[in-house]
Amino acid sequence: MSSKINHDHHHQRINGQTSPPPCPHLAEFHARNGSKPFRVLQDCLRVKPPGGRAAIRRDPSEVPRCGACGQSSRPRLYACVACATIYCHASPGPSHAAAHATSMPPGHEIAVDVDRAELFCCACRDQVYDRDFDAAVVLSQTATLKSATIQSSTPENLRKRRRVDYRHWSPDLRERTLMGSGSSPLDWSMDPPWGLRGLNNLGNTCFMNSVLQALLHTPPLRNYFLSDRHNRYYCQQKNGVTSNNNNNLNGSGRRNAGGVDSKNARLCLACDMDAMFSAVFSGDRAPYSPSKFLYSWWQHAANLASYEQQDAHEFFISMLDGIHEKVEKDKHKHPNQGHGECCIAHRVFSGILRSDVMCMTCGFTSTTYDPCVDISLDLEPHQGSSAKTVSAKAHHSFNGEADPINTSQACGISTLMGCLDRFTRPERLGSDQKFFCQQCQVRQESLKQMSIRKLPLVSCFHIKRFEHSSIRKMSRKIDRNLQFPFALDLSPYLSSSILRSRFGNRVFPFDGEDSDASNEMSSEFELFAVITHTGKLDAGHYVTYLRLSDRWYKCDDAWVTQVNENIVRAAQGYMIFYVQKMLYYKASGKQVNARYNDSKGTKGTLNQFCTGQVT
Amino acid sequence: MRNSVNRPPTPDAVEIQQKRPTLEEIINIKLIESGEKERLMELLRERLTECGWKDDMKSLCRALIQKKGRNNVTVDDLVHVITPEGRASIPDSIKAELLQRIRTFLLQAAV
Repeated sequence: MSSKINHDHHHQRINGQTSPPPCPHLAEFHARNGSKPFRVLQDCLRVKPPGGRAAIRRDPSEVPRCGACGQSSRPRLYACVACATIYCHASPGPSHAAAHATSMPPGHEIAVDVDRAELFCCACRDQVYDRDFDAAVVLSQTATLKSATIQSSTPENLRKRRRVDYRHWSPDLRERTLMGSGSSPLDWSMDPPWGLRGLNNLGNTCFMNSVLQALLHTPPLRNYFLSDRHNRYYCQQKNGVTSNNNNNLNGSGRRNAGGVDSKNARLCLACDMDAMFSAVFSGDRAPYSPSKFLYSWWQHAANLASYEQQDAHEFFISMLDGIHEKVEKDKHKHPNQGHGECCIAHRVFSGILRSDVMCMTCGFTSTTYDPCVDISLDLEPHQGSSAKTVSAKAHHSFNGEADPINTSQACGISTLMGCLDRFTRPERLGSDQKFFCQQCQVRQESLKQMSIRKLPLVSCFHIKRFEHSSIRKMSRKIDRNLQFPFALDLSPYLSSSILRSRFGNRVFPFDGEDSDASNEMSSEFELFAVITHTGKLDAGHYVTYLRLSDRWYKCDDAWVTQVNENIVRAAQGYMIFYVQKMLYYKASGKQVNARYNDSKGTKGTLNQFCTGQVT
Repeated sequence: MRNSVNRPPTPDAVEIQQKRPTLEEIINIKLIESGEKERLMELLRERLTECGWKDDMKSLCRALIQKKGRNNVTVDDLVHVITPEGRASIPDSIKAELLQRIRTFLLQAAV
């Protein structure tokens, strides 16, 4: 039986799992053998084929055999770390390894599996873990160059952020008077709920309306604008957008003191968003015309300015970019887009993707981190299956969301998690896409794998339904239905999980020290908006479904109606929005705007606008 | 490695030489020395993952851990429980494929 684990040990989490405390024999072994007791083992690590499993061999051509019975064909062979003798182990059958541990003086209990490079305690008859040893194994499998660090924008960029306990805040008397004189309270029990307002179509602008509806109800974004974090009057005043300023310029004509073109100084997509939020949450139910916003966006994205139907996803990206552009860049020295320190758009939507490319000849792995505001997913290639079986099995999948992916794939239904599986699957880069390997110094065939390094507050999944084939010179739309869950756990797609499946159960953190705390506690997401597209590629219509207080509303331009959730499940998702279920405070040293201090002196920052559970 | 003074006495080595190696042993060594064993292992892993055998074993392990409690299960317990079930549930096609590979190897190695 396993040794009774000492529960006083600090249970730290590495790679999303609790790192088990050492058994007494391992602890004694450490005490007896100093700081690097497994260093000798590291010299015996052999990895082949490149990137494959790590084995322990004294010399590469060694055939390990049991020192007691001479057998080499036993399934489990262990090398004693103290005396390097190899013994076989079978349980409950004869175990020469266990016999060795008991027959020798204390110190020979720890052994290593010669074929799996995993530590084992022969006395406890159970696997044990050591961080330094696992570090050596992982490093030998990745075959990184010892001299240079390859990773670009390494995790060292991450500032260590402590998690801060939520402190309840309520306004004092002075603040209450201020609020009372300048605002009116929202009645959240109203039916239909606040913030539901149709958007007039201004000429094929359903692509814009659908995205705006989703953003108007993105909880962190909504909270940001409704709590006056971007005050449009203050912002315009700061940018010198008054007629007085223009007259006071010294000869340079159109440029004001801020060095910004006066025409562009009026242009601030965030201000237009602020105006829209105020209008939509005002309680007025008449449909709103976002014409000012459209005009501003046209000025920002001149190439897309027309009355033609545009792509909603393209608009989404362009809009986030527009909000980002207007941020004053001198305030933050190196705005790190991936961590959302630059603007509210990135704070809400930006995550970091990790890409590993492994050379198939030598095993050298190149890792890069890239920020992303959404994840574009391919639909699975068409699976042939009779219509009858599809409908029969579909019924089962609906009722039990915990069905394994295999079943749904087998009967030809595409699911969002299936798409995410494909996204994070190792992909062979073929002979026409050879990657330059720094170790081999030539282009080699490689294996590429994506994973999510840092989760954003809001995950937007863009389903690639529009196929543009340059070969056949045609584009088409993929109409296949995609099943998406209402609650989504993204932890299997995190870098720590993906790497664990590559390297096995190692207690060496794959991803740098910092990632785990922020990621694994917040990998649960809730669906809140779905943008759907119906019709053909060039003649179609966008509609948004919003989930408010667990009811679903269909926003079709100016018409907003309540619908049953089954309508949403059957709809053709094009952009699917999930928000983190639990939001956490992070301690931040930076102060964004002194105006937002409360009287007690706690600084309000971009990071601290989220509170507790998202409704 | 150090601590050679702690090694068991050499009579073990003499004992091994007195036993005649079995056919299984000889084949095993030939497979390892030529590197064929590694290739076969990789092939076997791939096949067993493809057909869902690995996932089935994983579920078995999970069930056992849930039943006995996370802190009361050792690796040996798991191996002991899933070995008979695992051996019995390997698809015949995989057995046939591997046997064929080994047969081919032996024919070519005997020359």
